[in-house]
Amino acid sequence: MSKPQRFSNFRMLLNQPALLLTILFIFAILIIFIILPLINVFRLGFTGPDGGFSAETFIRMVSDPGYQKTFWNTMKLGGLVACISTFVGYIFAFAITRTEMPGKRFFRGIATLPIISPPFVLSLSIIFLFGRMGLITNKLLNIDSFDVYGLGSLVAVQSVSFFPVAFLTLTGILESIDDSVEDAAYNIGASRWHIFRTVTLPLSLPGIGSAMLLVFIQSLEDFSNPAVIAGNYSTLSVEAYRVITGMYDMQGGTILAIVLLLPTLTAFAVQRYWISRKSFVTVTGKPTQKRRKLHEKHIVWPLFGACSLVSAVVILLYGTVLAGAFVKTWGVNNTFTLEHFKYVFSMGWDPVKNSIILAAVSAPISGLLGMAIAYLIVRQKFFGKKIMEFSSILTFAIPGTVLGIGYIFTFNHEPLLLTGTAVILVAAFTFRNMPVGIEAGTTTLLQIDRSIEEASTISGAGAGTTFRRVTLPLLRQAFFSGLVYSFVKAMTAVSAIIFLISPKWNLSTARIFALFESSQYSGAAAYIVIMIVIILAAIALINLLVNLLFKPKYLKRATTK
Amino acid sequence: MFTKSMRMCALLLALMMVVAALAGCGSSGSGSENGDTDNAKKEPAYKELTVYSALPETELPFYFNAFQQDTGIKVNYVRLSAGEMLTRVKAEGANPNASLMYGGSSDTYIAAAADGLLEPYTSPELSNVPDEYKDPDGNWSPFYVGALAFACNKDWFEKNKLEYPKTWDDLLKPEFKGQVSMAHPSTSGTSFSILATIVQMMGEDKAWDYLSKLNQNVRQYTKAGAAPPMEVALGEAAIALTFAHDGLKPANEGYPIEVVFPEDGTGYEVGAIALIKNGKAEEQENAKLFVDWVLSQRGQECFIESKSNRLPINVNAKVSDGLKKISDINVIAYDAVWSGENRERLVEDFKAKIDNAGSLKE
Repeated sequence: MSKPQRFSNFRMLLNQPALLLTILFIFAILIIFIILPLINVFRLGFTGPDGGFSAETFIRMVSDPGYQKTFWNTMKLGGLVACISTFVGYIFAFAITRTEMPGKRFFRGIATLPIISPPFVLSLSIIFLFGRMGLITNKLLNIDSFDVYGLGSLVAVQSVSFFPVAFLTLTGILESIDDSVEDAAYNIGASRWHIFRTVTLPLSLPGIGSAMLLVFIQSLEDFSNPAVIAGNYSTLSVEAYRVITGMYDMQGGTILAIVLLLPTLTAFAVQRYWISRKSFVTVTGKPTQKRRKLHEKHIVWPLFGACSLVSAVVILLYGTVLAGAFVKTWGVNNTFTLEHFKYVFSMGWDPVKNSIILAAVSAPISGLLGMAIAYLIVRQKFFGKKIMEFSSILTFAIPGTVLGIGYIFTFNHEPLLLTGTAVILVAAFTFRNMPVGIEAGTTTLLQIDRSIEEASTISGAGAGTTFRRVTLPLLRQAFFSGLVYSFVKAMTAVSAIIFLISPKWNLSTARIFALFESSQYSGAAAYIVIMIVIILAAIALINLLVNLLFKPKYLKRATTK
Repeated sequence: MFTKSMRMCALLLALMMVVAALAGCGSSGSGSENGDTDNAKKEPAYKELTVYSALPETELPFYFNAFQQDTGIKVNYVRLSAGEMLTRVKAEGANPNASLMYGGSSDTYIAAAADGLLEPYTSPELSNVPDEYKDPDGNWSPFYVGALAFACNKDWFEKNKLEYPKTWDDLLKPEFKGQVSMAHPSTSGTSFSILATIVQMMGEDKAWDYLSKLNQNVRQYTKAGAAPPMEVALGEAAIALTFAHDGLKPANEGYPIEVVFPEDGTGYEVGAIALIKNGKAEEQENAKLFVDWVLSQRGQECFIESKSNRLPINVNAKVSDGLKKISDINVIAYDAVWSGENRERLVEDFKAKIDNAGSLKE
């Protein structure tokens, strides 16, 4: 960017004080809640015993062949899971948005189910089903030496856990691709396959890129699944945690976490560069007809079959958890009982209440902030835009344990004394969960032609009005994804909060972990079932609110009829 | 019209949510301070205590409720693993959010004391505790002991018509191939105790020899110290090397687990409690009171009620029925200080010589 151009951008900003203030405000909170804790983490990793800079620990950790192997293990896992999850997510998203497949609502439900429970529950049901005493391996197939621990199970569990992220991102993208593009191709005689290959797929590439990026990063920083089911297959996030809490080596563990940042940031950079070279404008504002959905049997039924298969796996895994909540002792005494639910509703309700409050507070903040940042990044020009983009999405790539430690170190002194309060948890949730909303928002915005907003500005609306009345409704689906994701992740976070919860603000996931530790699997299962119900209700509510608020009028009329 | 008013309602609702959220954020920082001082005004004697605890969630209410009954002091707590607790106290540094560390092996407390995180306190109740368990510097106090044991899956042994292992050498039997579960000494205090016990019993050379043979029978070195008994409970392994009270935890839930103490001697852990340095000033007296209470006969006998299977350290306290007293078990003269000092070296050696975890070998 040349100097005069930069100057003129700046002058344009000065003419819009609200916009300028928003930008400054966002920068301020990004610095306080993301950059500062990160700097503290780096300082922790690179401070010698004398208090000065030292790369000694870094060199010690990086040159260790054991940890090098761990690094490649982590990459391999992330790559496999990213491919499988995105593939499955795409099938679901395509089938639901593009075809007249029966049971769409059901499949949509299935595709969001796995993100709404603490993921390590899936690991446990896999052990129950496929372990040495497993229902399937032992009771059904009579094998008692099957080894459930290792890469295979880990890939399976993570793929099931994370394909919803891909699904949510891709649904947003596929829904915002203008129908008329595909219809036009069809009308001039292109085959369905040809349209898919030359129109739909290329247009959804940025979504696929985003989805893979998001899943890859999630897999890398996932802590609870590898901790339970990886066996001897070590991964960086678990290794970082075990170095910190097992060997009391906070510096070494922090270094491992910093090493973990490297691939996630690379992935991020590659994806940005790749997207920026293509144009994906399809929402033009010109009138469109209602979408003509695919109905050909040879397309619909294979998709239906694939979705059913995946759904069956998901149902099996969750069914095991559900069944476990109603039996006396999971795996041993299978008599029906409601005592675990009685316990949760009487003695153990506080943590659940806390989780709901904090999630409900952080989700709208994180959702709106995410959309605002996405809008600024894609639509506005200002100095430091790249920095804003980069830092706002950074938290997604930081393992929870490290974010937690960074937060304690940063917010345990005046004037930022936040430890022990709810604010520190809300902040952790907000900034950690924001990137999904930003991702969904930017990829959607990249597809919306700028002229729609320009029309609004030309007619005299300010940047704020345009954002609220034009951009936000177009971002509806992305906003919804962002909200749902934030809420759910806040309800189910484990590693990020372990150092942040306080006696006043204990959370239900910490309680579930504790129950697992004392072998009360059924009690834990009861908590999980209750949390799933709460989250489902919340998603329905969010859906309702988002549609009421932001659905464009012409669509509303069509549906209310 | 209808949709428009609906829309307004929804907008208002959303706005209210955001405002409430912001207000909640703004006030809970400053508001909680006000709240605290208000409470202090109403009740001159401070009646609260904040604790980090590494004891299982299920046991804690028994102790805290009984303490509240006796003293009127309400205990607020966060439950963490021992390593997390230490990390957190370290990270909070000069501004800790709790006054006490409660539970976890003495080695955690030795490490904490070395970092200057603890406030020394010598409870009068310590006079009822055998000297060998105490910290000579008085930085922390012991409040239970637990011996290492073999936790066995009853069903597996019945099905395979085998006898429980009675000695450490029994664990090497070929029929237990892939059936022994222990945690990794680098992540688990329990497992490090096992390693240190074996080294102290056999001497270093023989210990590595023994461990490499045992390695053939070990299914996997789990990350969490809590995992081995869980694996045995679920039939993933037949024998877990663990502390007796952890091994018996799944038995409380009805899982088929029994523990055997090795006849040729075993190590033990000392569970500890300590005041955190710079803890909340208004809670200091309550914290000392709690330490006294935990060490008292009354506090110690709560182990029976809570089904913890922990062995009391106060010589006057009664033990739950069926539980072996530490004096009935063949325990070695376990040197916790030596273990703590050699921890890093032993763990590194273990990784280099024994560990079959693929990632760490080579």
